[in-house]
Amino acid sequence: MTMLFSFYVLIWPVLTLGVLALICRAVWRDRQQARAENRELV
Amino acid sequence: MLPLRSACCVRRPLRVFVPPTEELLLNSESLYQFSTLTVVLLLIAFYGGTYLMTLGIRKKNEDADAFMVSNHRVGFGIGAASMTATWIWAASFYAAATSGYTYGVSGPIHYGLWGALMILFIYPFGRRFRKLAPNAHTLGELIHARHGSSSQLILALSNVLGSVISLMVNFTAAGALVSVLSPLSFQAGVIIAGVGVLLYTLWSGFRASVLTDFAQLVALMAIAIVIIPAVFFAMGGPSELVAGLDNLSVEQTNFFSTDAILNQGAPFFVAVLAYAIGNQTISQRLFAVNEEHIKPTFLTATIGYGAIVIGLGMIGLMALTLGVEPLNGDMNNLIPQMVSGYLPPIFIALFFILVIGSLSSTADSDLSALSAIMMADVYGKNIARGRADPKRMLLVGRLTMIVATIIGIVFASFSLDILVMLVFVGALWGAIVFPVIASCFWNRVTNAAFTTSVLVAMVLFCAARFELISLAGPGGLFFELLACIGGGVIIGLMVFGFLGQAAGFIAGILTLVASLIFATGFLRDYTVLLASLTAYGASTLVCVVMSLASRQARFDFDTIGQRVGNYDLSPAKSDDQPTEGRPAGLAAQH
Repeated sequence: MTMLFSFYVLIWPVLTLGVLALICRAVWRDRQQARAENRELV
Repeated sequence: MLPLRSACCVRRPLRVFVPPTEELLLNSESLYQFSTLTVVLLLIAFYGGTYLMTLGIRKKNEDADAFMVSNHRVGFGIGAASMTATWIWAASFYAAATSGYTYGVSGPIHYGLWGALMILFIYPFGRRFRKLAPNAHTLGELIHARHGSSSQLILALSNVLGSVISLMVNFTAAGALVSVLSPLSFQAGVIIAGVGVLLYTLWSGFRASVLTDFAQLVALMAIAIVIIPAVFFAMGGPSELVAGLDNLSVEQTNFFSTDAILNQGAPFFVAVLAYAIGNQTISQRLFAVNEEHIKPTFLTATIGYGAIVIGLGMIGLMALTLGVEPLNGDMNNLIPQMVSGYLPPIFIALFFILVIGSLSSTADSDLSALSAIMMADVYGKNIARGRADPKRMLLVGRLTMIVATIIGIVFASFSLDILVMLVFVGALWGAIVFPVIASCFWNRVTNAAFTTSVLVAMVLFCAARFELISLAGPGGLFFELLACIGGGVIIGLMVFGFLGQAAGFIAGILTLVASLIFATGFLRDYTVLLASLTAYGASTLVCVVMSLASRQARFDFDTIGQRVGNYDLSPAKSDDQPTEGRPAGLAAQH
């Protein structure tokens, strides 16, 4: 039960961390691509 | 954990060293207080930093299209960040924690999951909108090209009302936070937030909004990642949480609590499509993101939103297991109380930034949405009528932002109760869902069918919601039948979005039949749900019947793309636009 509840509470910050990493990586790639195409990021 | 003290901050009243649980009870009488200087510095750092970011993209002469939707090629990363940050507003945290505190174990899920699904369920339709009108700035422009002004203005009106209410709520949250955590007044918090957001959004519009959304989301996520486990372990960790389950009622410990489903989950579920269709902040991003990246962008935003909001909602569950009473009976104090009670001041400062970041990212999106509606839907399509001047459009957009900020500040400062309007806005959004979606897929829907169906649905909604017709006897049965159709429409549209026409039709019919069997004689006891479903059902019924009865020629969807275009035409832009060669300002007209 203790393990289950730990998982239930802590899975959300872990998921958030995963999404944060994904978004940061994607923005970095967007920036590289925008530079390569000589255009603005937004 | 005992909060640290520093010269810049005091807690009122002064406390003595006490064990955590006892400290929390003491803390229920007051929250941590920053000094005025500290809060002002935090706000200057936040809004000043955000403003400086926008200087990097600022152009002396912004163009009208970029001001509304950037370059239609916003990348996956920025798009997902912006969508997530926009959808998370200050109320998301408070409401998720309230849900956890009220409904127990399943509470945070019943808030965060449905909110996340609002993002998910719109993207299949968003792809269709984008395919029909690749260069649109608002959903209203698409509807204008499909039907004309009356339908477009209904949609625009619902968007404007929604964004103004959202602005007011976010400014109110800023005022409340500042007044709770510092000696500054509520009004000071409202004005600082309003002016701060306007300052960095005014010149570059949507471009500034999406860029700053990324930075705000990074801060927001990083803080959430730290705060949730910090509170969890500071309160005693998993063993304390499990021990505290004894404080919960049977319903609160049940993950499949019907109480939570009926009171929290179901009303949200009904609103899933309505919120997404009725919100220009979403359509703006649908038209701004690179078309190939719509799916991953919205999927990522769904997971990101769900994870952050459900995670912070867990703090409400933790408070419940500890038996914490919300300060002054106000549920909005739950998260500040827990953070204030268990974590050192640096975490309270982080929490402060978390809330300011979330409300600012939503408020700047609302300002951008409102300006786009006034620029494209009102000025471009209904005032200029073929002679839209991009420079004048920009002026309209910026003036809209200023006026909207003033309205938001005034409503929030005087605590004017405009939330009652949410009832009508929600109904309007529910009423337009089927007509909008059907107009983009079915060539027989007419302007008269669209407009009439929405108006009839609104009248019937009011009759049910305010019980203008007795819900006992045949009156109740009449509304229940409409509500059952509404239920079938919601499920049918959701399935249709992902699995296509046949599956959607079957799912809709099955839901209708199940609703007729199980919900008649029962739904009338839940007037809010009944009225909302009635809006869906009535608008669908009227729209379908009038469209089938119409002898109007079938609509050619290919004409939408030709009618909706860009307003500015620079040489670089005209290379890949269908409006190439047409004079600037006329490109989007027909």
